[in-house]
Amino acid sequence: MSASAEHVIEIEGLVNTVGAGLVLHHDLNLAVRRDEVMALVGGSGSGKSQLLRVMLGLKPPQAGTVRVFGVSWADPKWKRLRDARRRMGMLFQNGALYSALSVYDNVAFPLRERGGLREDEIRAIVYSKLAQVELDPAHGVLLPANLSGGMVKRVALARALALSPELLVLDEPTAGLDPDRTARFVGLVKRLRTEQRFAVVMVTHDLHPLYELSDRVAVLADRHIIACDTIAAVRRLEHRFVQNFFGPERRRPAGEG
Amino acid sequence: MPGPEAALEIETAAHGPVRTRVRASGEWTFASLKTRRHDLARRLAELERQPPENLAWDLTAVAQLDDAGAVWLARALRGAQRVEVSPRHRILLNQVGDALGIPAIAAGRVDPLWPVVRIGEAALQFGQHLLDATVRLGLLVIRCVELARRPRDLPLRELSAGIYRSGVTALPVTMLVGFLVGIVLTYLSALQLKRYGADLLVINIVGVGVVRELGPMLASIIAAGRSGSAITAQLGVMRVTEEIEALSVMGVSINVRLILPRVIALAVALPLVTFCTDLAAIGGALLVSRFTLGIAPAAFLEALPRAVEVVNFWIGIGKSVVFGFAVAFVACHFGLRVLPNTESLAAGVTRSVVAAITTVIVLDALFAILLRNVG
Repeated sequence: MSASAEHVIEIEGLVNTVGAGLVLHHDLNLAVRRDEVMALVGGSGSGKSQLLRVMLGLKPPQAGTVRVFGVSWADPKWKRLRDARRRMGMLFQNGALYSALSVYDNVAFPLRERGGLREDEIRAIVYSKLAQVELDPAHGVLLPANLSGGMVKRVALARALALSPELLVLDEPTAGLDPDRTARFVGLVKRLRTEQRFAVVMVTHDLHPLYELSDRVAVLADRHIIACDTIAAVRRLEHRFVQNFFGPERRRPAGEG
Repeated sequence: MPGPEAALEIETAAHGPVRTRVRASGEWTFASLKTRRHDLARRLAELERQPPENLAWDLTAVAQLDDAGAVWLARALRGAQRVEVSPRHRILLNQVGDALGIPAIAAGRVDPLWPVVRIGEAALQFGQHLLDATVRLGLLVIRCVELARRPRDLPLRELSAGIYRSGVTALPVTMLVGFLVGIVLTYLSALQLKRYGADLLVINIVGVGVVRELGPMLASIIAAGRSGSAITAQLGVMRVTEEIEALSVMGVSINVRLILPRVIALAVALPLVTFCTDLAAIGGALLVSRFTLGIAPAAFLEALPRAVEVVNFWIGIGKSVVFGFAVAFVACHFGLRVLPNTESLAAGVTRSVVAAITTVIVLDALFAILLRNVG
């Protein structure tokens, strides 16, 4: 089969502009394999979030192709695009929970939209998703406004996982969480990944999930991906951003295996 | 990428402790089960009816299992003792199986007295609104007195921006509506008055009607729809994005910084808008009088001050000051009550516009009674 059988995301020759023609990405190439965790790092203003938007098909690129599960976002068949979208889950930085819906309805939303399941089947899936992210069925009646920051993240994760996606996209999954919560959230994603084997693309500034989760790290600098390799290999790069990011003063926290 | 299809093999033995062996294989995922779901569901339902101790399940050949597949299998598996399954799938099956046992949240029973309860709640809510609004009004008055002593604290920039937004930008639509209403009113009265030969009375009717009633009313209803909804939505979004909390934390008075400029701005702008609306409506009346009644514009303008006492104009302008204050105040009141979610924002804006228009009409009725002997 084609390369798409082993890649969930393929980006080739991407040119992406913002505002009045400011070139943000130029000739950017990136491929994310099935069953891997790819972390995307880059300095502030390097266009990580913009790249994520392009990856998710929220923004059409100026040039180049972006394929998800072998389907290009420029594909004219909306059904193919919709099916590709249903194979991916997205965790937004601030959760993006629907504020008017309860926790239960938020997680049930993608299942109801997809159709084909009875309400009691949806209920079983929603409660098992809530259990997977360590939430109680009693939390189902709460509204997003009543949740703590960590709970919003977990509900959003449950919603992102509702359709059993093959690709999970995480935007700053641990931003705004304290170190203990961060460790727990990372452990949660790690455990779910061993159970459900989805690929992960994550944008992060946090070294902890980087070391704990990622198989490969893609470094976004100078308008393209300057390296995409294991952390150990990436750390040896001479690039200024890499040296600052992983630099000696930001060594891996002690006491972690 | 579709793999082997989901399949269910059922073997039945005549003897032995295990009568039926069930072997599931293939991809038990939503996508691959979608087409064959009814057939599989029927066979699983048949198995559910058998005593679970007679069944032996072999799920080791299941290549892929997602939540939807797990729900269907877990329901048939309930109570089964002999289940062979890979460890990874066992976790999922157990999770979904546990979740299947959780009952739905019971819908609340319908109270037979609900209409009474609803009316009582509405009355209480109305009382609460009145109380809150009174408190806010009182605070506003205190702030105004404080500001009068130290006029330098007056947020002049916000004030002038507010007057521009709710006054100048409202002129085109308000004047157009005024012009059209002037035309309609004159035309309809002219049709009736012609029958009695009292053509010239049209100047009295239109003059008093527009200057005293319709001008302020039209201007404030349009202001409620335009500026009132904008104020509520803006304050509501500020609540959602915690900007109001940020102001409070910085020790900035919400009354001085947010409410006062808006209320004063609309109270200043609305009389001016009303004046322009009056002009536009009389312009419309002038036009219709000329062409349907044959009253020359010069004659119309000469008769107008005699037909309409100046006090009517000042009543109209005075009313629009009060209406402007009321519209902005009601809009602020509802804007600050928005809860941080989208539904509440939508409901708040709707209620704000309805309440503002109602308040204007109630105030207008009060003015009509109080000033019945004037003009």
